[in-house]
Amino acid sequence: MNRPAKKRILGIETIVSMKEKYIHILSIAIVAAGFVFVAFLYSTEPRSFAEVASKSQVAIGTYEIDRAQFDRGLAAFRADQFVEARAAFDRADPEKRDAAAQFYTAYSLYRQGWGRFSSDDALFKSGVEAVNRVLEIDPNFRSSDTTLSLRSPIELRTELEEGLRITTSDFNPLRFTRERK
Amino acid sequence: MKQTAEQKAADFVDAEIIPLEKGTLGPHAPAESRPKDSRGVKDYVILPLLFLAVTLLGGLRFGAADNAFLFIKPDLICLVYSAILLLLFVRAGLVRLNSWLDEDFALLRNVANAGILLTLFAASTQVFNSVLPEQGIAFWVVAFFFFWTLWNNLFAEFDARKLLRSVGAMFALAFVAKYLVLANLTAAPADGGWLARIFENPGKETLTWLLDLPRYGRSSGYVQFFALSLFLLGLYLTPARIGEKS
Repeated sequence: MNRPAKKRILGIETIVSMKEKYIHILSIAIVAAGFVFVAFLYSTEPRSFAEVASKSQVAIGTYEIDRAQFDRGLAAFRADQFVEARAAFDRADPEKRDAAAQFYTAYSLYRQGWGRFSSDDALFKSGVEAVNRVLEIDPNFRSSDTTLSLRSPIELRTELEEGLRITTSDFNPLRFTRERK
Repeated sequence: MKQTAEQKAADFVDAEIIPLEKGTLGPHAPAESRPKDSRGVKDYVILPLLFLAVTLLGGLRFGAADNAFLFIKPDLICLVYSAILLLLFVRAGLVRLNSWLDEDFALLRNVANAGILLTLFAASTQVFNSVLPEQGIAFWVVAFFFFWTLWNNLFAEFDARKLLRSVGAMFALAFVAKYLVLANLTAAPADGGWLARIFENPGKETLTWLLDLPRYGRSSGYVQFFALSLFLLGLYLTPARIGEKS
């Protein structure tokens, strides 16, 4: 006679302990997820909600550049509108994670800063930084754009560093005849 | 002088007794009638969420020029102060450690309780991060007073209620010092060079430079007020013995 009652009581006890167990698991999950989210925000330091989204995409590996903005940047680059081109590349790749976008950014800095007699040091320095980012992202990057004379980041960096250095060849009057690459 | 039963009842009862429905919540409900699950949800879900929100918001400031997010990581001193504060909570009985962590408890329960204590520690660290000035002489002055107060409290006899009041008053004063007094002494960023700024606002510009005050957006104060309120609410809801009625 007592068996079913005992079973029932045991059944209720089991339900209560299961509920507690689930609450404990939920609590642990909330704490773990919360700390991961806070650590992510404080380590990546996004400056806006848009950056929170793009940095989250980088963290979970789904980051992709905005292809339309990249094409717009490429068109501006080919039309020698370098400031517009860089703005479009920045919009296309806000996290500076795409080798091609960073390569074109560096190239636009080179072309804008290039001068027949002297180059713009500030732009060239920014160009070296951009090309270094390309090498960090993909050390074996090589552009497939046949319209460019310098297709690898190493070649571009050499050209930029050459422009920053003052050598005796800088005073060679024949420099007037050199061409932008 | 015989009294009827009704007269006797009238001497003692001056109000109508309204029976509570089963399961009634709130302060009018008898503690025994509160469902255990609601306590569990409050302790294991709401409390960590509150403390995590404080952990997130405590270091958040806004740029003065563009209102961009600025996440300020806590200084080492904030961790030290937070550890002392937790020690105070245990000493005053706000948190009875032996009912939070015990070898007789199931592993899951111990881990969940430890997680909540961790969120309390993180939130305390971020509240210190929030109310301590970031740099300069103001940082050293406020940090010294925090240390002085916490050190004195370590050797004082407290109960949980008095400690809560003391902690609330300490953080409220520090908040007023930083987000009302010092923020009003800080010059807002203006267009033009430093010379133009000095001519426009010589007093504030000099104090900003002398006290090395950072220029943040005004919304920083609002967010930190919210974070501090959440922290104090979290402390108020923290049970001395978790999973039991406090």
